[in-house]
Amino acid sequence: MNALNSALSNGYLVLFARVMLGLVFLVAALDKITDPVSFAASIDNYRILPHSISLVLATILPWLELLCAFALFFGIAVHGSALLTCAMLTFFTFAVISALHRGLDISCGCFTQDPSVQKIGWTKVGENLGMIASSVYLLFSDGKRLSLEHFYRSRTLIFAVLLAGASTALSG
Amino acid sequence: MPDSSSLPNNVGRREPISWQGPIVDRRGNPFHETVLEAAVLFIVACILGLGYNAITGRGVFGFAPAAPVQLSGSVEPAPTFITFEEAVKFYTSGKAVFVDARNEYDYKVGHIKGAINIPLKEFDNRRSLLGTYRKDSLLIAYCDGVECGSSIDLGRRLAGAGFNHVKIFFGGWNEWRMHDQPIEQ
Repeated sequence: MNALNSALSNGYLVLFARVMLGLVFLVAALDKITDPVSFAASIDNYRILPHSISLVLATILPWLELLCAFALFFGIAVHGSALLTCAMLTFFTFAVISALHRGLDISCGCFTQDPSVQKIGWTKVGENLGMIASSVYLLFSDGKRLSLEHFYRSRTLIFAVLLAGASTALSG
Repeated sequence: MPDSSSLPNNVGRREPISWQGPIVDRRGNPFHETVLEAAVLFIVACILGLGYNAITGRGVFGFAPAAPVQLSGSVEPAPTFITFEEAVKFYTSGKAVFVDARNEYDYKVGHIKGAINIPLKEFDNRRSLLGTYRKDSLLIAYCDGVECGSSIDLGRRLAGAGFNHVKIFFGGWNEWRMHDQPIEQ
């Protein structure tokens, strides 16, 4: 139990998990934001949801991924972001398993909407399970190293410098 | 040695982990705070997503069936929906080109006889297939059927590419096959 407690409050481990998960979600979001129609078509390929719902998801989901990516990366609302990434990844994983079960030969639509790459498979399920584990870890974790939230709460000099820099950039 | 009962609960020992989930987070971040953070992120994502797509005319704001499509300064009618009977009539007339919006795999498994395949996601790569058709050709877009909307988006893209007689057969492949109409595999 002590080892688990140590892992959950290990600042470096939490920082590593945050940055890795944040980068994955950042890359995943960018392509979808620029072409929501293709992303909706990717969702349609799974044949789970009607097109109208796919379009709504394609409109909102990439932005949710982007926000979670930034939140994890900068350490703001880490637990909330981890809850959302966990929920999204669980949904994606069920969709992939369902498509595999029905014998669909489709591309994942995860990082690019190019239909010729990233075909779904059990490797993708494994990747998603790994990311779900990271999300659950962050959900229970307490590491605050290099997080804006921590800087804000501890009123450190760095946070003040960041704020000053941001306000200078905005006013300039 | 002070009496242990006089010490605060958390002095000198770690709190045990509760495996009842984060309902009562042992580290001072109660579950309701986590849910609140997630809810705020979700609401902001909705605002950003809907706002961005409303401004750029994409996503849920990308298709307006009643709105005309602006083409080279002239106003052309938006793609219209046709029934199965109308699709058969156009097919037997031999003047219509059926355009399959499904992916290549589904197209190879079976498609309306004579249809060409332009998957929605590969529209830009495959649009050269349309080069041999005149802009006033009658193009009929279809996909699987009512559970799939690729035909709508494909119809819109065809109209946007300058074709001014585009129709959408929304019953699609499923309805066509159900009525034993001519197919190719």
